[in-house]
Amino acid sequence: MTRYALRRLLGAVPLLLGVATLLFFVFSLAPGDPASIYAGSNLSAEVMDQMRRNMGLDRPIHERYVRWMGSMFRGDFGYSFARNEPVRDVVFQFLPNTLILSGVALGLAFAGGVLVGVVQAVRWNTLTDRALSVVVLFFYSMPSFWLALVLILVFSLYARNVWGWPIWFPPSGMVSVDHAALPPLGRVLDRAMHLTLPALSLATVLAAGIARYARGSLLEVLGQDYIRTARAKGLPEWRVVGAHGLRNALIPVITLLGLYLPVLMSGTVVIETVFGWPGMGKLMVDSVFQRDTPVVMACALLFAGLVVVGNLLADLLYSVVDPRIRYD
Amino acid sequence: MSPVLHHRRQWVVGGAILILAMGIGLAGCGESVPGERSVRGLPEFCQEVLPRVDAHLAEMEQPQGERYGGTVVVGAIGDLADGLNAFSLADYTGAQHQTHMHLMTLVRVDEELEPQPYLARSWELSEDGSELTFHLRDDVTWHDGEPTTARDVAFTFIRATDPETAFPNAAFWANYTAGEDGVEVLDDYTVRFHLRPHSEILDTWRAMPIMPRHLLEDAPPSELNRHPFGTRCPVGNGPFVFFDRSPGASWTFVRNPAFPQELGGPPYVDRYVYRVVPEQTTLLTELLTGGVDVYVSPTPDQASRIEAEEEVDLVDFHFRSYVFVGWNARRPHLSDPRVRRALTLGTNRREILESLYGGYGEIANAGVPPFHWGYLDGIEEALTFDRDEADRLLDEAGWTRPDGTGIRENGDGDRLEISIKYNTGNQQRQQIAEVMQAQLREIGVAVEPRVLEWATLFDQITSPDQRDFDGVVMGWVTELKVDDHDLFHSSKVDQPFQWAGIQDSELDRLLDTLQVVMDREEAIPLWHEYQERLAELQPFTYFFYPQRLAGVNRRLQGVHMDVRGEWVSVADWWIPEEARRGRSR
Repeated sequence: MTRYALRRLLGAVPLLLGVATLLFFVFSLAPGDPASIYAGSNLSAEVMDQMRRNMGLDRPIHERYVRWMGSMFRGDFGYSFARNEPVRDVVFQFLPNTLILSGVALGLAFAGGVLVGVVQAVRWNTLTDRALSVVVLFFYSMPSFWLALVLILVFSLYARNVWGWPIWFPPSGMVSVDHAALPPLGRVLDRAMHLTLPALSLATVLAAGIARYARGSLLEVLGQDYIRTARAKGLPEWRVVGAHGLRNALIPVITLLGLYLPVLMSGTVVIETVFGWPGMGKLMVDSVFQRDTPVVMACALLFAGLVVVGNLLADLLYSVVDPRIRYD
Repeated sequence: MSPVLHHRRQWVVGGAILILAMGIGLAGCGESVPGERSVRGLPEFCQEVLPRVDAHLAEMEQPQGERYGGTVVVGAIGDLADGLNAFSLADYTGAQHQTHMHLMTLVRVDEELEPQPYLARSWELSEDGSELTFHLRDDVTWHDGEPTTARDVAFTFIRATDPETAFPNAAFWANYTAGEDGVEVLDDYTVRFHLRPHSEILDTWRAMPIMPRHLLEDAPPSELNRHPFGTRCPVGNGPFVFFDRSPGASWTFVRNPAFPQELGGPPYVDRYVYRVVPEQTTLLTELLTGGVDVYVSPTPDQASRIEAEEEVDLVDFHFRSYVFVGWNARRPHLSDPRVRRALTLGTNRREILESLYGGYGEIANAGVPPFHWGYLDGIEEALTFDRDEADRLLDEAGWTRPDGTGIRENGDGDRLEISIKYNTGNQQRQQIAEVMQAQLREIGVAVEPRVLEWATLFDQITSPDQRDFDGVVMGWVTELKVDDHDLFHSSKVDQPFQWAGIQDSELDRLLDTLQVVMDREEAIPLWHEYQERLAELQPFTYFFYPQRLAGVNRRLQGVHMDVRGEWVSVADWWIPEEARRGRSR
């Protein structure tokens, strides 16, 4: 399996190089460069030229390409034009925030989605099933920014100002301004409180999708002969569903994990913006608008890498869940 | 051991590790306690500098009094992306933090915009206006304890005038002898500049913060704007000391207890936090739930919501920006000033101001904002919405419509069709273009609004070899000193910002004279003449000067905001003890 994983990863190298090359030329040929983006105030042509020289933008495009590729292999992604910092530092400032948010959201989404799916499958064609279907479809078709704003309205604004609840959630940020002065447990709680709303709005929409998959997949499995066998030999129902049914039903759901991983890294722009969460999605979009090419390319490469890793991870997880699948 | 059990144990162990990791992730990152900060992971430069600042801070005695204490939180949608480095290009908010909080300028201006002493105690200009001498205070120190001297001023000037630095506001130095020849250090606290006489000389020194020589001298000029000083460990000499930054999320400053009493003394608040909340609806919620004390620049449609709330106040004040539609006079059908005037007269700007900005703003006609001492009272009435007059002007200019409806044509059979471009993501500009389309149709002008991504649009209108537009909806931020040379002078017609392509000898004469007249009384009639000329030529259809708005929590006292900016009085903000954070919640 290790060999398989290595082979897959090696195979991804030319792919990533292609992506990098494509990105480089697309961004270099797009109209407008960082110097012109900054020209909101009265920048003279001479100053703009000097800025371009300082950023190395006066060189011909092939020379810049070679230079960029070369330094990338040494782990140097250049300087962010807009942030005046090494790109590596910039990315490492934003990446952990996204990892926390997406990790928690993904966990919640899978736990919640699978749970709802199981309940629906077990109570198939009952009122519970149909009611849950309506709820799931409702959330599935809901734009996440709308859900986010509703959550803020209800659990921040109304909870505090209208209903006067003792507990209400902060509408934005990762920590409160007094975070550093809190006791250790208070700090964990503070972070959790700030994480709740963004993670929920991200997870709800994902969970709805997962629930649909889990329900369908489990229903199919529950009709199999070996399930009947399990029941016939007198296993309690929870063992039948939990151990024999779910394990097999999870295989297609795991495919989703591979697909969601990159989406969660890059596709959280909206949630990150609404909740003021300084993560990768927001960084990438800001950088695109600022024509901060080095940062955009580093992010894009990272995301491309994640697609590869996500797919690989899903493939490897198959073999964990399904012993029949072996990679050599 | 049965295989099932084995697997289950794996799941349990895996789950436990995951939960543990999440807990550590949640608890981590925030080890710093006020008063201590971690320099781990910072560039080497910062690891040396910040402990010196901390040691210096710890030595000083904090001021005592009932107003001292508490944390104020300011929320805005954008980060101080370029940091606190005065050599690199700062946006408005960044510049405000530099000049009013973290760094010091030689002079500052009072509410009437008259220059007042700040880092400089006094100054004198030689008879012929070619030598400007500043006498500095001797009681100002950098936040690491080094005194601020004339050598810092000279260093700032030399670096800022060095072409390698690519200092963005090159206009500051247009009348100075650049480099070491332009400045003399007479003694520790006296510095002299050599310059050509020009108007409002001190404005440069109101806007240009002084930078610490002892920290930045060794950095090559071309690398100054990416120096870690700007974003990771800025060291200033102003009333607030940089403490911490959480990238993309917040900046934290603490009080500088050594700030001279004569200049207002140390700030009242212990701590100032600038928070980035990119979504305005969220930011409004933060204001209404006490998460931020000041909401910088809410949208006009949020104003009534803020006014209705008991906990918060709405502050509005004059600002330096204006919204306009720039016309490309290079295009044949827009070259006649009568046509451009008709376009302005045919647009009901008052109505647009009411509907888009909730009436928070003033009608503009000539790009000299109402706060300016040269503002011509009554100019705002000059081109009030008047369709009949617009029709008459267009007829006179040879664009006729015999049947009284439809699109006008000239003698050659060309139709009066123009496009108005605007950038994506700005709803107000889009609506301006669309409303103009509807309103100008009434006077027989066909307008086609066109949307482009900002960088592309910018390229199309500023590249001298493109200028691919008829009209463009834009905003412009002036300095406290207004100088439209780059916008309208005929010598700049091939420079990026002469969008209008206007060439008028009368305008040139006024622009040239206004640059050199040093006496305000003498300049006022010229400013009036200038505005009348602009209203006549209408290179732009000026729309309005939007008021700047702010939402302020009532617990915050001493807040004063005016055209100088939101942050002009930040050292005087204070919070009554019973209303401070941690007590009210």
